Amino acid sequence: MKLSDIAQVIRSKNAGPRRLTLDIIFGSDADYQRVAQSPGLGAENIGRLYRVPAEQVTIIPYPVGRAIKIVMARAIMAGDPGDLDVYGAQQHAPLLGIEI
Amino acid sequence: MSASGRIIKEFRRSPRPIRLLGASGQLGYGIPAVSFRAGIARKPDLIGCDMGSIDIGPTYLGKGEMATSPEATRRDLRRVLLAARGLDVPLVIGTAGSAGAGPHLDATLAMIRDIAHADGLSFRMAVMRADIARPVLLEAVRSGKVTSFDGMPDLTEEDVTEASHIVGQMGMGPFRHALAADVDVIVAGRACDTAIFASLPALLGFPVGLAMHMAKIIECGSLCCVPGGRDPILAELDHDGFVLESMNPERRATPISVAAHSLYEQSDPFTMQEPDGTLDLSRAQYEAVDDRRTRVSGATWRDTTAPTIKLEGAIKVGERAVLLCGSADPRFIAQCKGLLPKVADLVESLVCEEQPMDYTLRFRVYGIDGVRMVVPENEPPPGEVFMMGECIAPTRERASEVVRTCKQFLLHFGYPGRLSTAGNIAFPFTPPEVSLGPAYRFNVYHLLHVDDADALFPVEIETV
Repeated sequence: MKLSDIAQVIRSKNAGPRRLTLDIIFGSDADYQRVAQSPGLGAENIGRLYRVPAEQVTIIPYPVGRAIKIVMARAIMAGDPGDLDVYGAQQHAPLLGIEI
Repeated sequence: MSASGRIIKEFRRSPRPIRLLGASGQLGYGIPAVSFRAGIARKPDLIGCDMGSIDIGPTYLGKGEMATSPEATRRDLRRVLLAARGLDVPLVIGTAGSAGAGPHLDATLAMIRDIAHADGLSFRMAVMRADIARPVLLEAVRSGKVTSFDGMPDLTEEDVTEASHIVGQMGMGPFRHALAADVDVIVAGRACDTAIFASLPALLGFPVGLAMHMAKIIECGSLCCVPGGRDPILAELDHDGFVLESMNPERRATPISVAAHSLYEQSDPFTMQEPDGTLDLSRAQYEAVDDRRTRVSGATWRDTTAPTIKLEGAIKVGERAVLLCGSADPRFIAQCKGLLPKVADLVESLVCEEQPMDYTLRFRVYGIDGVRMVVPENEPPPGEVFMMGECIAPTRERASEVVRTCKQFLLHFGYPGRLSTAGNIAFPFTPPEVSLGPAYRFNVYHLLHVDDADALFPVEIETV
């Protein structure tokens, strides 16, 4: 099953102009628990998908919001020449197909 | 007596829970009239609006321009101003004019004075500028009082000298001084969005952790609800917690939706650094009051012993012009990532015949790699692509020359297997080249360590 079949929200946004944060929010505690254990959402796999070293990926489980937060550095600071997404709001696509 | 003086006196005489209305998370994009009226009917003790953010990118800060249209901004300002004066409660506006530097603040103040004149309003207004004086900052750089974070390179004296505008994010201190100065309206330059709402409760002795947590949520309007939206939101804060309620009956603040809001645009949902201290949400609790209201408690606060002010500054990098076009030719699309650099080389050979290479020219191919920072390998080619060529050059004329030349040679560029010899690209309109004006980048995003943060943001009082 893919992450996009389970999650209620899969989104990306800047957390300040130099970092990107990805939030995955679930509709039930059961869905959250199921995915929180999955290696698909480990730093290794996220780093591979976003082509950044795993040690530069922070994964924060947030059970009270039934959510998982991922934080990483942006390769280009928001708004710098060459940026593709000033708000960082469209960088979630690599997460959609993660197999759970 | 003015509104803030009246509220402070009232709460000192007979303490009670305080109601705060988060009218808008981004003033200038329209405040829904029905839900705003519903909020006003609940007689809030303060109306607050956030007016800006760093998220909108460096150009507004650099140019000193608002992101919102003057008409919509004026309409929103008038709506909140009339309501606050009608209730005789403080109106607090933070990050005036989108980026909160001098020109943004001045444009906002001019609108407010103009509205007051047209509507026959008179009030006491506190104004806090957020611009950091260059001599102060240069001295701070020399004495090691400015540090980097999030991997930003160290701040140099050149950065300080060459930035168009440099602002600091003020915390609660200046707002508390303003509220204590007996005013009706507070307009701040660049400010922490939390300070807009947390300062009055903190001044009145409510727990700062709860006030901050509440502020963090209501500064975004009803975004913490399901479905989320920009309607005004009401918070009622007591000494043990606060209750959130959207002023649009269709939006429900549920324990999960409110808790999840702590994720929004934050790198850490448990601890948040503010200029005045640290907000700790690790023991926050969220309980449903009913179907549409949630009560929140448990947030704690640690005052800082070493105040830091987050600095933001933008520097001009040149003039920007773009070329807008598309293609539906499978052979062109299949080769375009290799062809575009060749077109760029050809352009350079033409426009640099008598001039040095003094510009950048880059292409984003929408449908292939225009949006995503990471593109998977071996994706099937799209049926159409949209291409944006972007030039940043020292002058508007030079940028225009580059994209106009680029347009012509991209249109007629030959490549192996080409069938469509009348033209490679489609223009949605002509001219397809657009001059966008000056381009900026953030060159200041640092922390300033100060002994007295409030001294950077003196409160000026004006009678309107």
